[in-house]
Formats: sequence, structure tokens, C-alpha cells
Amino acid sequence: MHGFSDRARLWTRVLAAPGLLAAATITGLLAALLWGTVGQYVAWVTVGAPVAVVAWVWVRRRPQKTGPFSPTMRGK
Amino acid sequence: MKARTVRLWSMVHTWTSLISTLFLLLLCLTGLPLIFHHEIDELLGYAPQPEAHASAARATPQVVADAALAADPGRVLQYVSWDKDEPGIVTAFTNSAPDGAPDNATVRAFDAVSTKLLGPVGVGPMLIVLKLHTDMFAGQAGKLFLGAMGLLFAVAIVSGVVLYWPFTRRLRFATIRDSAARRVRWLDWHNLIGVVTVAWALVVGLTGVVNTWAELMLNQWKATELASMVAPYAGKPPPVRLASLDDVVVRARQAAPGMEVAFIAFPGAPFTSSHHFAAFMRGDTALTARLLKPVLLDGETGEVADIRALPLYLQALLISQPLHFGDYGGMPLKVIWAALDALTIVVIGSGLYLWVARRRKRAPAKAETFARRARVPS
Repeated sequence: MHGFSDRARLWTRVLAAPGLLAAATITGLLAALLWGTVGQYVAWVTVGAPVAVVAWVWVRRRPQKTGPFSPTMRGK
Repeated sequence: MKARTVRLWSMVHTWTSLISTLFLLLLCLTGLPLIFHHEIDELLGYAPQPEAHASAARATPQVVADAALAADPGRVLQYVSWDKDEPGIVTAFTNSAPDGAPDNATVRAFDAVSTKLLGPVGVGPMLIVLKLHTDMFAGQAGKLFLGAMGLLFAVAIVSGVVLYWPFTRRLRFATIRDSAARRVRWLDWHNLIGVVTVAWALVVGLTGVVNTWAELMLNQWKATELASMVAPYAGKPPPVRLASLDDVVVRARQAAPGMEVAFIAFPGAPFTSSHHFAAFMRGDTALTARLLKPVLLDGETGEVADIRALPLYLQALLISQPLHFGDYGGMPLKVIWAALDALTIVVIGSGLYLWVARRRKRAPAKAETFARRARVPS
């Protein structure tokens, strides 16, 4: 039982975010086609979500890399 | 997942990606400016601009048709089209013969009110980019080849999703191991960007594949549906005197209430029979504006001969087009489309880099093993 729930938790941890982003993207792609102007707004947010995630990871890691307490700087 | 299964999927991912890499890069790089082709054409002066009119009445379709024929003496009209997003412009296609090849057609824009010739359509540098993107100047064979590359891309995406689990299950989502080797960092970026853009890449890739089959689908429609629509008129000669285009438009509107004419194919053009006009009608919502409905009208009398919805495969083709072009959600969606395209270029580039880096890493190890084996004790 434990093995199963651990495995399910692991699956969720690894695949939940990509799964949600994929669902959001598909929703947005169809929304702009089916729901007119409102659908366009939905599409901007949901189809743009993957771009926002990549931008967020990029921005988040930059201060870590070059900041005064970064491992690289400490190593030097 | 067993190690052998992972190796197998890894092989599928590597080779489907490698074979299609060069062409996918071409498609992504040419696709990027094509997202903004309207804006680029306008900027470079290749987009015809309608004249300014203070709420003047639009010219009738027949007047526009006459203007188009006068602008191209000795040629015949193939199509007249009305763009929903450009109400001030009417586009006319003329050719040397009604069934003339698309490459020989002259496409010109006319002012919808004054019928003044505004200039050619679909010329300039973006035409070269478009040809590179759609068929690499190799016609139908080029289109089908790029379609096959699109299918390989889809297989690469699916195999990439399968491999995401064994490669990232020990990491938190969106982990980039900055302190690790450069190859590992790029692997993390490759996995992250690949998995977050997977749905978009799959949709754009597969709709692109469907678009490469457009001519085959149209030929199928002409051989089956259109053939049965014109069957009662079999043996009738091409019309000696064409019906007025004004009558044709009025009758087509009556036959499809609530719809507008998207374009009209003249008798003999590839989208109709030698005896009929075909008016392709569109609705007014984002979806119905794409789903055209053909109305067949007698070439001489303008009477409605038949009307029926397009078969499912052509409807799928028409819906796949906006999903591929990304031109149906305003400028913000175009910008997002461009960003996702750029991210796909990063995924393809990083995949290639990872393959090269892995081979480089393996090469010295292999050489060492070989040298160890070669050292025979004397």
C-alpha cells in the first residue's frame, strides 16, 4: 500500500505541473477558436503559461548564479 | 521503467529527432517571421492599403470583377475573395486559363469602394520565406516530405515525454542543476522547455502535417463530393456567357442565410466544375469563419445547383490552419506563438548539442577500452 502511494506521490510530483500546463495550453488554443474575445484573453494566459514558466526559471536562477552568496562565488 | 525500455525509447527519441533536426530548424526559423507576415509586409510596403472613404457604398462584385479583368487584359478570372479582416479590400486571381496552375496566377488587390487597383498580393521577401516553409521550392513532393518530417517530430515529442519520467523523477519540477557540468545544465533546460511546450509543439507540428495534405484532400473532395454535386450537369458545355457576379453573390447569400461570401471560384477553376460558380460561404464567429460551406451555382443562370457542408477531413484541415498559424488571437497570441517557436528552436538546438556532447564523452572512453584491449602481454 505504501509502495503504491509513494509511487503515486512521485508521479504527481514529477508530472502534475507538465500535465497542468499541457491542459492549460490545449484549453487556450481551443478557447480563442470557440469563445470569441473572452476566449482570446483565456488563450493569452493559458498558452502563454509555458513561456512564463521558462522565463520564471530563467529569472529565478540568475541571481543565484551571480549573487554574492552563490555557491560559485563562495567556491572562489 | 526497465533499463532496456528506456534505452529503446531513447533510441527512438534520438533518431527521430536527428533525422528531422535540420528541417525542423528550417521550419521554426521560417515560421518565426511568418507569424508576423502581415506586419512585415506592411512595414516593407508590400501590403496593399485601401483608400480612405467616408462611409461610401462598396462597389458591387461584378464591378470589381470587371476592374480585375481590365487590369489583366487577355486573362480570365479564377477567384474573387473578400477577407473578413480587410473589409476595404477585394482580392482577384487572374490566370491564362480557368484551370491555370496556381503558380501562374496573378493576385491583385482592389479597393472595395472605388475598385482602384491597389497592387499585387503575396509578393516580396515573405513569399520566399513562405515557399521555404511550405515546400522548400520543391512543389508537392517538398510539401509531403516536410509533412513526413513533421510526423517524425511528433514521434520525437511523444518519446521525449516517455523519457521525461526516468530522467527527472529524482528532481523537483523545473530544476536546473547550475553547479553541474554544462551538458547536465543543457539537459535540464532541454527537459524543462520540452515538457512545458509539449502540447503546443504537438498541436502545431500535427496541424502542419495536416496542412501538407491539403492538395490531396482537395483532390479527394473534387473526385467524390464535388463530382456528385455536379453529376446532374454531366456533359453540359462550359457557359458561353457568365451570369452576373452580383446575382451569384445574392443567390449564394440566400442559400446560406447568416453567412457571407469568403470567395467565389469561377467556372473551370480548380475548386469547382467547368459549368459552375462555387461560392464558399463563412460564418461570423472565430470558428464558423473558418468552416467554409460551398454553394454551387449555374454558370449561365446563377441559379443554386447544390449546397452541402464540407466533409469532415476538409473541416479538420480548415480548423488546423489557425491552430498552426496562431493568427486567431490578436497580437498578444502572435507574440506568445513567436516565443514558443523560439523555445522550440532552443529545444532542437540543445538536443543536437546533447547528442554531440554525449558522443564526444563516449569517444575517449571507447578509445581507452580499445587501447586496454590492444595491450597484449609480451
